[in-house]
Amino acid sequence: MALDKQTTAKREFKVVGTRPLRPDGVDKVTGKALYGADLTAPGMLVGKILRSPHPHARIRSIDTSAAEAAPGVKAVITHADFTLPDDEDMRDILVNCMAFNKALYDGHAVAAVAAISEAAAKAALKLIKVDYEVLPHVTDVDEAMKPDAPVIERGRQAETVGEGFSENVTSYCEFGHGDIEAGFTRADHVIERSFKTEATHQGYIEPHACLATFTTDGKADLWCCTQGQYMVRRVCSAIMDMEASQLRVTPSEIGGGFGGKTTVFIEPVALMLAKKSGRPVKIVMSRSDVLRASGPTCSSSMDVRIGMTKDGRITAGHAKLRYQGGAFPCGTVEMGAMAAFAAYDLEAVRTQGWNAMTNRPKQAAYRAPGAPMAIYAVESVVDELCQHLGLDPLDVRLKNAAKAGTKASYGVTFTDIGLSACLAAAKAHPHYAAPLGPGQGRGVSCGFWFNFGGDTCVTLNVNMDGTVSVTEGNPDIGGSRASIGMMAAEELGVPFDKVRTQVVDTASLGYNEVTDGSRVTFAVGLATIKAAQAAKAEMCRRAAMIWGIDAEAVTWEDGCAKPSGPNAGDFPPMTLAEIAAVSSQTGGPIAGHHEVNADGAGVSFGVHLVDVEVDPETGATKVLRYTVFQDAGKAVHPDYVEGQMQGGAVQGIGWALNEEYIYGEDGRLQNAGFLDYRVPVASDLPMIDTVILEIPNPGHPYGVRGVGETSIVPPLAAIANAVSRAAGVRLTELPMSPPRILAALDAARPKAAAE
Amino acid sequence: MQGPVCMILNGQRVDVADVPPTTTLLAWLRERRGLTGTKEGCSEGDCGACTVGLRELGPDGKLVTMPACACILPLPMLHGREIVTVERLAAPDGRLHPVQQAMAEGHGSQCGFCTPGFVMSMWCAYRSEPRPSPERADALLAGNLCRCTGYGPIVAAASAAHDLPRPEWDDDDAAAAPTRLATLPTTALDYEADGRRFIAPVTLDELADAAARNPDATILSGATDVGLWITKRHFAPATIIWTGRVAGLRELKEDDGTLTIGAAVTYREAAARLAAHWPDFGKLVARIAGAQIRALGTVGGNIANGSPIGDMPPALIALGARLQLRHGDKRREITLDDFFLDYGRQDRAPGEIVTAVTAPLPGKGLHLGCHKVSKRFDQDITSVLGCFALTLEDGHVRQARLAYGGMAGVPKRARAAEQALIGQPYTREQVDAAAAALSDDFAPLTDMRASARYRMQVAQNLLLRDYLERTTPGVETRLAPATEGV
Repeated sequence: MALDKQTTAKREFKVVGTRPLRPDGVDKVTGKALYGADLTAPGMLVGKILRSPHPHARIRSIDTSAAEAAPGVKAVITHADFTLPDDEDMRDILVNCMAFNKALYDGHAVAAVAAISEAAAKAALKLIKVDYEVLPHVTDVDEAMKPDAPVIERGRQAETVGEGFSENVTSYCEFGHGDIEAGFTRADHVIERSFKTEATHQGYIEPHACLATFTTDGKADLWCCTQGQYMVRRVCSAIMDMEASQLRVTPSEIGGGFGGKTTVFIEPVALMLAKKSGRPVKIVMSRSDVLRASGPTCSSSMDVRIGMTKDGRITAGHAKLRYQGGAFPCGTVEMGAMAAFAAYDLEAVRTQGWNAMTNRPKQAAYRAPGAPMAIYAVESVVDELCQHLGLDPLDVRLKNAAKAGTKASYGVTFTDIGLSACLAAAKAHPHYAAPLGPGQGRGVSCGFWFNFGGDTCVTLNVNMDGTVSVTEGNPDIGGSRASIGMMAAEELGVPFDKVRTQVVDTASLGYNEVTDGSRVTFAVGLATIKAAQAAKAEMCRRAAMIWGIDAEAVTWEDGCAKPSGPNAGDFPPMTLAEIAAVSSQTGGPIAGHHEVNADGAGVSFGVHLVDVEVDPETGATKVLRYTVFQDAGKAVHPDYVEGQMQGGAVQGIGWALNEEYIYGEDGRLQNAGFLDYRVPVASDLPMIDTVILEIPNPGHPYGVRGVGETSIVPPLAAIANAVSRAAGVRLTELPMSPPRILAALDAARPKAAAE
Repeated sequence: MQGPVCMILNGQRVDVADVPPTTTLLAWLRERRGLTGTKEGCSEGDCGACTVGLRELGPDGKLVTMPACACILPLPMLHGREIVTVERLAAPDGRLHPVQQAMAEGHGSQCGFCTPGFVMSMWCAYRSEPRPSPERADALLAGNLCRCTGYGPIVAAASAAHDLPRPEWDDDDAAAAPTRLATLPTTALDYEADGRRFIAPVTLDELADAAARNPDATILSGATDVGLWITKRHFAPATIIWTGRVAGLRELKEDDGTLTIGAAVTYREAAARLAAHWPDFGKLVARIAGAQIRALGTVGGNIANGSPIGDMPPALIALGARLQLRHGDKRREITLDDFFLDYGRQDRAPGEIVTAVTAPLPGKGLHLGCHKVSKRFDQDITSVLGCFALTLEDGHVRQARLAYGGMAGVPKRARAAEQALIGQPYTREQVDAAAAALSDDFAPLTDMRASARYRMQVAQNLLLRDYLERTTPGVETRLAPATEGV
């Protein structure tokens, strides 16, 4: 299936690698693109959700009678309207959408109303009486793991978790190889540090929104902003106890997701309100609801120990990762434990991970979930070793870099990867040699993401007017309609503007996994190429039929069917349009399909360089210059590859410097708004420079690798390393907000004076 | 005049009489007018996804086009104004406006949800000023959040729009706008719907009278705070009195060495004058929120609101500003310091209104340094703001007024620190002594924005920074150059 690497590298592309306008561009600049909240239906009701003000409370009773009697109210629901599914994952998703016996975090949904207006719905929420028994709560990961911590839910602990932890610790994982203690003995210097990172939020600008309709015979339609309409169908049909075929989910244009829209928060609630009221129900989350009750990242507490020889060889690495993923079991720490040392070719490495439940919202994926914090800790310690031993941080990384043949700490053996190429490019880049001013420092970090493929289904229809319709099932979150259409055009040999790519509802195409794992350009692209190949084969067959020769004697070249050689016959080439125009006479419509569980996604590495300046009076940090180096395999639309590299870097910058969940002593989220959850704005940033490396992925016909996630990983450590070199203080807690940096500077000052 | 709210929406006159006065422009556009291009991202004026163009005739009769956040703008504030939404920008034949074309061609959208808001911010700038430098583009767009792109392509598009042919349809529309606006009523508005009133007087006498007659009314100025009460706390007062149409409150004048800023003068309107007299004050104003909020928020509102972290009071207190108030026919004037009694409590009686703030124009030797500290440079809430007005003579401090925000329940002068400087040689030692004296002046609070310890330490460091800036020409003490202008 996979093309030979040499062939891929030599291949000359006509469409792939160019930068056409995105097909959705005009709709977006004119305001015509329709997002989750933009659709209305006749007779539509407004759905509103009542949320717990307590971080942890037993729900003794809920009295909805007054709300039900209020003017304009058409339905009120609580957990009593739902039945818990057998499947544990589905059960957790439902209980996160609607609290059952306990409210598990500040903002947990406890009831919902559908009414004829926003005002009527809000008024009705105030009439619902919930009798809470407030329970002790815990929001910090280290506190939650202590044996005497308040327990979120009993009976969720896996057997692999050892002694000495509270029941909040649900799982334990371990990866690695070699004898780390022997490795540390061989080291000339060993550094061990502990780190903490706060939870951050994906911060998509579009709040979750959906519109649900139920027919009286049990069919339902759902319009929503999601990264995966099939996931929504699977989850909601399980929760609503209906057959998947009876629920049609149509994805709206999606206003950002970054992983946060790979699960559901309001969709089952809207469906139940629609079912109960018999009318369409729209729910739109407020920004405060989004921050309190959608899926932020894990927060973490980590210990990392690394040994290095004087000449910069890493002899052993050990990471202990403790993540909390909210009030339900969460597997993200496993990804962190697998990713932590992925950039290094190590003889001895060990990573351990523990997950703990806390009174926080159930975490959701966020761009390379679990990796940024683990790699932040590892890359910080590597950098400190370089400082201590007086070694160049890029040289040390080059010396230890994972390459083809390296056995990764998580067990796989890498094939062709682009890490060394990224490091070499960084080393050779003018940025690395540029002079720095006083108070400024330069930081380096590697980043990594696994990338995924997964279940994918594509239909490609050749229309009778010579145009092509590609039907795919993955919401376009970063320009994938453009890149998919480009690959179809490339394979068929037609101009890009003859291809229109549509993301369709669940009834129109077979199952597709969610838009996640940087999988779409890789897996949907692969399926599209294969579907195009099937269509080409069919068009060759039609041409052969017209010419009266064997189908094997026809080849496809430059968008035309041609006799494969002089022996095949002398016929003028037939274009796609000419074949399509007569398809009715040659056997009917022409289409290509491809269904695949795609593997061979090809891991992704990147390296970031950053210069910062630290203000010693206020602790503020300014990012002065930033360059991203990343292996894209093959950049299908280089602008969108750069867009992913820049966007991820900026989210990482926000994570490093400003963004954090702040819980008060009362267990309530204190900064549930963009006013106090500070994401970067234009003036916080320099132009993010990008360098795309292309080390073809042998698992894709064009060499494509996913590029969406790796870019968020390096900024945390790159900035911490830059701050350390700028200000002489090493921050081991994120975010590196001005108060934290000033406190670190302050702590370092008397020491410096004493020396 | 009892009657509907009269405005121009996308070139057409619209009279509205059937929505509650606290209905936001955004809700009305999306739900009543089907104009869903304007997006809701936060409902608190932070993300800019709801940015629309707001037009009115300025005091000089010239057309002003400015960006505004529709999400926190009560609909009756559109009375007598024109609103332009993203649906209006392209030509009737579908040709894109240069700002739209530059965004599309420059790949300025990924998910595209923030795009209409960015397009509208760019359009307002396109109509009002020449091609922006990258720094200017950053400042123009700091009120719009994008989470996908990292801003690079968007900032580039703001400039690239000026390389494209002029949109003659848009120029024609701008030329016709004053005529359209002239058809709107210029008299006072008394709007009532859903049992609630919205009064918008046009003279100072009418305003004073309305306020005195309705002492429980909410006085609304730019709605950049009250708008959040509406969207976040579901605030729905029986009566709102809006100051924005009172011509006398929008005056900015200088005479007898005094600058008078009418209470309804916006940050946008005040910025250039403040910058001309006190350059640091201009830089401070440029860092208040984003362009959308600066177009609506007012100097008077920032004072009368009484917030301990408002950015105007410390600067004005340092300048020795005085506040003019009026209650019915009774007028009084107090020092601005005295207006702030305690956290959440000001020296203003029910029914009394703030009419203007006055500040003496800078005398010889006076220099005002303004130092805002926040987690993020632009569009962020102040953790600590230090504003220092010093008059130096022969190396000595003749006068010192040091005012801080974020250090107490009210904006407050640091009198002990002032005393440590006045009459003394302006030296590092004296500045250190003044910094030490700050602990007699303040016992700041810890909250999620900053700890008490951080606040005190920074407050002290700001005095030192200010000293270094005054005494060391060319010294670099600030991380990022604040962009001039608003």
